[in-house]
Amino acid sequence: MELWNWLEYAAWALSAAFGLHMLLDWLKTDSTYSEDVLTSSREGELEAMAEEHKGMTP
Amino acid sequence: MTNFDITSKTMDGMGPHGTKVGLLRVLGPTHVWALGVGIVLVGEYMGWNFAVGKGGAYAALIACWFAGILYTCVAMIDSEVTSTVASAGGQYTQAKHIIGPLMAFNVGLYLVFAYTMLEAANAITAGYLFSVVATMSGYEAALDQRPFIVLVIMFLAWLNYRGVLATLTFNLVITAIAFLAIIVLFLATSGIAGGGIMEHAALFEGYELPYGWIGVLAAMHFGLWFYLGIEGTTQAAEEVRSPARALPFGTLAGIMTLLIAASLTWYVSTGVLPWEFLGDGVNGSVAPLFDTARLSGSTGLIWLLGFGTLFATLASANGCINDASRAWFAMGRDKYLPGWFGAVHPKYRTPYRSIVFLVPIALIFALGAPLDQVITFSILSGLLGYTFMPLNIILFRRKWPLNSIKRGYEHPFHPLPAITLLTLCGVTFFAVFLGYGTQLVAMVGFYIVVSLWFHFWRYRFVNRGAQFTMPWPKPRGY
Amino acid sequence: MAQYSPPKQSKASQLIDVIVLVVLTFGALFVPLWLGLAGAAKSVATPVPNPTWETLGQTPAQAAKYEALGYTPEAAHDLILARFDYSFSIGALLTMIVVILLYYVLILRFSEVEYREVISEKFGE
Repeated sequence: MELWNWLEYAAWALSAAFGLHMLLDWLKTDSTYSEDVLTSSREGELEAMAEEHKGMTP
Repeated sequence: MTNFDITSKTMDGMGPHGTKVGLLRVLGPTHVWALGVGIVLVGEYMGWNFAVGKGGAYAALIACWFAGILYTCVAMIDSEVTSTVASAGGQYTQAKHIIGPLMAFNVGLYLVFAYTMLEAANAITAGYLFSVVATMSGYEAALDQRPFIVLVIMFLAWLNYRGVLATLTFNLVITAIAFLAIIVLFLATSGIAGGGIMEHAALFEGYELPYGWIGVLAAMHFGLWFYLGIEGTTQAAEEVRSPARALPFGTLAGIMTLLIAASLTWYVSTGVLPWEFLGDGVNGSVAPLFDTARLSGSTGLIWLLGFGTLFATLASANGCINDASRAWFAMGRDKYLPGWFGAVHPKYRTPYRSIVFLVPIALIFALGAPLDQVITFSILSGLLGYTFMPLNIILFRRKWPLNSIKRGYEHPFHPLPAITLLTLCGVTFFAVFLGYGTQLVAMVGFYIVVSLWFHFWRYRFVNRGAQFTMPWPKPRGY
Repeated sequence: MAQYSPPKQSKASQLIDVIVLVVLTFGALFVPLWLGLAGAAKSVATPVPNPTWETLGQTPAQAAKYEALGYTPEAAHDLILARFDYSFSIGALLTMIVVILLYYVLILRFSEVEYREVISEKFGE
């Protein structure tokens, strides 16, 4: 087998490794945290904080 | 404001009551530059040369500069709006606040498709490069490009999954190398540093405008490719330390970098490669800067531009994954798409479900569709997005005049840039029509169908007042 | 105006929505390809038998570049002579213009309706 054949297999293997790592971590994360925590991000938090703070310190 | 610092460690990604998991604010203006230029610079290494085939070398230069004007307008308009609307959704969030939900849904899809298709095009090019290197190193058989295409997408998705700072720092380094490679090639071959090999006059002789002026119009289609994606800087808005300053700065520095890179690229490539060869990106010059280096006869330049091309494709695919996933995430967060996509990884602080979901889609396009179709799909989505921008800024200035809300950046000469942009978009629509009229109609047909689907079905799951999140006064005229 | 509260979407319904979108996307790209309507191919109008650089219309400077790239006149024949056909029918052009205008009118109209609802809920009245 030539070098490039090995590289082809190496590329397949690495792709699978990266994919598998993402998949496992994804499943782990989804089972560890509740859906409410995971999807708690809201748009415009920066603006909301600035507003809230302005209100608190006159 | 002294004891309240949203960029501090404790406030990072936190909501108003410190209980939420949001994206991480870690990026500076150079990262914004790297994201914008990184996505686009690949356009200098491949793809733009289809414009030469469409109308000849001079047509490509005219298209390059007119597209440059188009994108300068895009960058100015975008900088103003985004310095006020700082959100991961970028133009999607702008549209939601300024024009309305259905427009926002369409804009969000433009973003996702433009970037995902561009990512697929990059992976295809990277796979091709590996096969060229294999041949150059003496490999006799034809290399199977698929594992390398898959690897590029998987590796970059993984990098994106693991965190935005590492992702964009990686982008900064490889983008800088790819940009420097263009400068070095220019200095080495133009004759400025001695030993010039440019023969513009001799190579253009008899073919100044092979199709006449309609060729110049047709070239506008691929002229966009010199800059496509610079507007993606806005997707970093929720991860930048000071969006009002860093976003306009990074975007405008980015467009200037690209204007220089595009002009230099045109100059060196057309001065060395005959236009028929240069203009055929499939059977002729797939990677024009690399081919220019090959004809220079210098081994050092060949390696430099070979790596430059590879780095440019990687940087671009990387930025595309970043931007497409942010837009998809932002739409999920608002329930424009299933809310499941609006999740943030608690440790890496990335929109991990969106990143993973878009991987197979990019793979299918990279492995199953021809390059010029993929590029056209990407350009069309981008073009629809640019047509939205002038409408956006005109309504923005009308609903919230200059003194009514604080803007981080105000673009000059309004409404001249908006009108210029709209006119150039019209010209480009015509250019696309000349070559790819069917795709254009199919694509717009697609957007009409999904718009109806959204308006009559999907929109019922969306909160009405709550999706307006900017602390702005009521718009004028409502 | 009364606050609108959206229904909670079930997992299955969310999945169906994603599938619908993905199917439409692939349809838009692959249907023109399957129908063979994806255009923009170049063609050679008048082939030149036994081509030389001169009969292909190349100056010595241009021919030298092709030789440096490894081409012979035969190999470069199609590459050099192929041209696009930019003729088009007015009907097709009008169709395109109408479709694009229709599209923008549609989304701007619907957006405006939805936007007024958002603003009135957000800012009261």
